[in-house]
Amino acid sequence: MKDDISSYVDEIISAIGEDSGVDREKLEKEFKKFLEYGVPPDQAKKTLVERFSSKDKSRKMLNEIKPNESSINLLCRVITINSREVRIRGEPRKIFYGLLGDESGIAPFTSWNSSLQVEKGNVIEIKNAYTREWQDNIQVNFGERTVVKKVDDDKLPEISYQPKLCKIADLHSTFGPVEVQVKILDISKREIETGGETRTVFSGVLGDETGKAQFTAWHDFKIKKNDVIRISGGYARFWKGIPQLVFDERAEVNKIDRNIEVSSEKIPLHKLVERKGGLDVVVEGTVIEIRDGSGYIERCPECKRPIQDGECRIHGKVKGIPDLRAKIVVDDGTAGIGAIIGRELTEKLIEKNLDECKKLASNNGGDAVMELLQKNLLTKLISLRGNAIGDEYGTTLIAREAEIVKQNLKEEVANLLQRVEEL
Amino acid sequence: MKREVAWRVFAGEYNDSTSVVKGEGEKVPSYVITPLGAKINRLFVVGVLTDVESLAEGNELIRAHVSDPTGIFTLYSGQFQADVTSALLNIETPAFVAFVGKTRIFEPEEGVVYLSVRPEKVYEVEPEARDRWIIETCKRTIERIEAIKECSNLSPPNAYDLRKLGYSRNLSEGAVKAVKFYKNIDIEKYKSMIVEALRYLTPEEKELQKEDIREAKETKESEEADEIEAKVLDIIKEIEGEDGALWDNIIERCAEEGLDKISVEEAITSLLDKGLVYEPVLGTIKTT
Repeated sequence: MKDDISSYVDEIISAIGEDSGVDREKLEKEFKKFLEYGVPPDQAKKTLVERFSSKDKSRKMLNEIKPNESSINLLCRVITINSREVRIRGEPRKIFYGLLGDESGIAPFTSWNSSLQVEKGNVIEIKNAYTREWQDNIQVNFGERTVVKKVDDDKLPEISYQPKLCKIADLHSTFGPVEVQVKILDISKREIETGGETRTVFSGVLGDETGKAQFTAWHDFKIKKNDVIRISGGYARFWKGIPQLVFDERAEVNKIDRNIEVSSEKIPLHKLVERKGGLDVVVEGTVIEIRDGSGYIERCPECKRPIQDGECRIHGKVKGIPDLRAKIVVDDGTAGIGAIIGRELTEKLIEKNLDECKKLASNNGGDAVMELLQKNLLTKLISLRGNAIGDEYGTTLIAREAEIVKQNLKEEVANLLQRVEEL
Repeated sequence: MKREVAWRVFAGEYNDSTSVVKGEGEKVPSYVITPLGAKINRLFVVGVLTDVESLAEGNELIRAHVSDPTGIFTLYSGQFQADVTSALLNIETPAFVAFVGKTRIFEPEEGVVYLSVRPEKVYEVEPEARDRWIIETCKRTIERIEAIKECSNLSPPNAYDLRKLGYSRNLSEGAVKAVKFYKNIDIEKYKSMIVEALRYLTPEEKELQKEDIREAKETKESEEADEIEAKVLDIIKEIEGEDGALWDNIIERCAEEGLDKISVEEAITSLLDKGLVYEPVLGTIKTT
């Protein structure tokens, strides 16, 4: 019997791994205890293997993971996998990316290990992976220390993965294929050359109740302007923060019988800046700065660049075309953006037209119009609508509408007192 | 370099901060974390400029104070922000001003933090700008209190879950740091700060404050007028001789002392009213 116990313990140790650091004597004691209580040896062995191997190496479910976790272990099915060439510290490297799924959910993954050998549909055991936040989602990463092992396909049930139903405003925080119900606001057809063959693409703007996005369809779905359709299996892409829905013949597109009232998305500034940009968005904030280069300017008739003292940097002495604009910084205390307001809107905001501004500038100097802008805009609450694009310096909105927001002080105070009360 | 958000925070909350996140290396910004989790590198304030003081010759360094309903912001501006420095020196105090500025952190020893602001832009503004600022700052402060409460309920406090609730990345990160750093955050204190600030916006209070500023301005103006009068009187005494001083000579002499014609004429009129001088012949002034 003693030898039997010893061989069972050997089996347990080999099952949980030599390097697990579990004390042999302790295991033996635990095992004997089970036998004393009449537990069959095989059952006792299984229980102990589970208990000790689950200590520090417990399997995480995909819906439990948080960003910046390290050394996590998962059991997942590979739902999609693709490869891509990237340069890491100047060295070309092949990486893999795709989607993983388990009983609890789906998550995107990236493998920085070029020798990963798994295929779509495989069930894999992942040890020592780490997580990062990426576009508002948690991404599983396989690094140098990560061990990926293929296991039996029946270890996990088939994971049915449907395109995720989402609104246009949520495109920024999704991954994988999506399903949307939208109205086509604008569509045009063009031919482009890719790899020596000519393909027809359809592109334009679509939207729903929550916002608008550009789209590109690589297949003729016979959609027309004002059609209300369901697109299932499209993918979200972004250009400087502007959302684009891309879909091809693998997507399912059909007309639906309801109307959609498309509206611009009203978005807090921090959200816009975190997304970098947006298509036809509405924002509100305080004008905290009027930038140099605002006010009355003259542009080069050739290149439209603002000129200084009748001289264009490129075209020399020219007869300038008068123009008016405001370059402002709008900030609501959660984030700030730059905004460019063109002539017509600026005229409305300062209640003076271009000719009056020109006169003012020639009589009182160029700063006179700038002062007018400061007086009318600075520290005021402004509402802007337009397209916003983001780059490394921040987000800039090109205003299509601009309006000073009138506040009712009494109401605001009452509301705020109420809110403090409820805190 | 991305644009840093300009936080709305009351002086009371800003000056309570003792947590600092130092930027390592060049171009990495430093932040102060307020007890309510604002992670501040820049801020936007509208308040009352109460005084501007030169700390070094040639205005190489000046200090100014801007007060809001809850406390005072201390501003330092030097020769590297010449336009801001001169703007501050040219505003007659007290006055409503708006400024955008960067946090200035002085930490003489571990745990002792003195906070001030290095203004980037300063403008004199209308009183309504301050009202709007109070409203916006109350909104943001309420938001921060909510974020701190949510954050304390998370185990462990983490920015990811806070962001999912709709808070900005900056505030989420700041709230986590605040909850970890400040052991017992006195939420009630900041709630009463908001209520106090909102009281400034009720009509009765507003009238009182406008009075205050007007009175302060008037006192100041009359003090200045007294000074000019004294100077003018001295000059008249100096040049009057037996027959009195000619009006034009007084103006000329005063101009040499840097006094403009209008204020000199006002001063003479006032001196006449007070009976300190009289006009024996038209155009000639003599002391009594």
